[in-house]
Amino acid sequence: MDVWGAITDAFSLPFMSRALVVLLVLSLVAGVVGVLVNLRGLEFISDGLTHAVFPGIAIGFVWGGREGLFAGAIVAAVLTAVVLAVLMRRAVPVDAAIAIVFTAMFSIGVIVVSRQTNYVGQLEQLLFGRLLTISVVEVVQTVVICAVALLLVGITLKEQLFRAFDRTGFSAVGYRPFVLDLVLNVAIALVVVAASSAVGTLLVLAVLIVPGAVARLVTVRLWLLFPVAAVFAALAAWVGLTLGYVASVGAGINLPSGATVVLVLVAGYALALAGRLLLDRFRRGKHQHDRMRAPQPRTAAVR
Amino acid sequence: MNENDSHVPENAPLALHVDGASFAYAQTPALEDVTFDLRAGEAVALIGPNGSGKSTLLKGVLGLIHRVAGTVEVLGESPAPAGAVGYVPQADELDPEFPVTLEQVVMMGRYRSLGWLRLPGKGDRAHVAAALDAVGLRHRARARFGELSGGQQQRGLLARAIASGPRLLLLDEPFNGLDQENREALVGTVKRLKAEGVAVLVSTHDLELARDVCESVLLLNGGQVAFGPLDEVLSLENVQRTFRSVGVELDEHTVVVPGHTGH
Repeated sequence: MDVWGAITDAFSLPFMSRALVVLLVLSLVAGVVGVLVNLRGLEFISDGLTHAVFPGIAIGFVWGGREGLFAGAIVAAVLTAVVLAVLMRRAVPVDAAIAIVFTAMFSIGVIVVSRQTNYVGQLEQLLFGRLLTISVVEVVQTVVICAVALLLVGITLKEQLFRAFDRTGFSAVGYRPFVLDLVLNVAIALVVVAASSAVGTLLVLAVLIVPGAVARLVTVRLWLLFPVAAVFAALAAWVGLTLGYVASVGAGINLPSGATVVLVLVAGYALALAGRLLLDRFRRGKHQHDRMRAPQPRTAAVR
Repeated sequence: MNENDSHVPENAPLALHVDGASFAYAQTPALEDVTFDLRAGEAVALIGPNGSGKSTLLKGVLGLIHRVAGTVEVLGESPAPAGAVGYVPQADELDPEFPVTLEQVVMMGRYRSLGWLRLPGKGDRAHVAAALDAVGLRHRARARFGELSGGQQQRGLLARAIASGPRLLLLDEPFNGLDQENREALVGTVKRLKAEGVAVLVSTHDLELARDVCESVLLLNGGQVAFGPLDEVLSLENVQRTFRSVGVELDEHTVVVPGHTGH
């Protein structure tokens, strides 16, 4: 069969083009936000947010159906983002507290959903998304939420980078890290919400973390990180979606679209990592002599 | 002899006024009852053992640590006027893998005056170039910050502070682990800044630096041991009291504490 024909035909189908629009918007924004997640080392916090947003989504879903999903999720997300920013203010490690709160929230979500009649089906949709049955209204909602997240990060971008690089120096010139942490947490939370209907609350973590990690492997130039992450994520989204379609139409294998996109992301990361390691090995061999240690500084200090 | 004190006029304006100031982390007192003045164009060396409160004092002046008693005024104001204080942290506290160039790090010194949403313009780039010239690192502007040597990173952070145009400069152990070339570059820059009227507060273990650039010394050990002109205060007796060790010795360059093996 004509594979290329199948690919171009794929996105003329309304449900496929809706899925593509949602995924492209989502990956572009998640890519940009994901670079900050990477530079700040907020992977654990992001993971926690995906769990904490879940009860909001579940309650919103039970209360208002598919249209109530976003409202509940946004309330839960913003609330969690604020609580997290407050916890992060304290110098003491709060990982245990965060993990406990988040798993508790997640359990609440599961219990709420389990009260529903079609329990397993609903839970699966919320956790893994339902990319191919997404409605026009949901497409619009996703785009709006992504736009807000992008705006939040865009307005504070140079300050976010300063804070990520040097927190003490940042506060020393009179900035308040708390405000920035709050803004970034809310942006991450909004991306999680936006992704919930498309790829589900569990798989969104990959969309948030992998593109930023790939960008770090590909370039050390600060302003290139953002376009690299966004373009990589969008490309993976398109490839993943097409792959799922071709497998289903061409070979009769039904691949869950969200998970397929995530695996394409991860495969891309593996490729980038392999490329980076090879390049490093090649360069190290070449510059062996330059890497000799500089003479030790003289010691003139009491320690 | 100290060659610097003659350059500072008696009536130079007060850059920093600290009177009976105590600082605390949560409920734990970190530094108690510190009193000293620092005039424009003058430099004070903070000397004391590790944990004596040198960093606490610097962070207290920045307003990053809770002041539980006393006064801290920068240019006669409390809290300090925006942009008046420049802070140079220790370079080894920063992530060497962070993907920024030296130029971008120095540009961060301009962010505060730029404000939100605005991107650096021509004027900011000129300030950055001038600051890099001041520390002698213009030729390394495009290098990745983490690839610079420790000394160059330290000078880069000084350039970042300079780019913000401070009247008071706080340096936290700027000479730790620096080679001779970087020491000379750093001392030269600090002297030029002083000549332009910038006041400098520098925490250090390095007496050579203190003698080279500072008029006064503040000895700390959880509180103020002594403050005054360098030649009067930096006596063996005072230093022994500060380090709470009679075995301590002073040589030309450094405080020698028995049992400590340097780095």
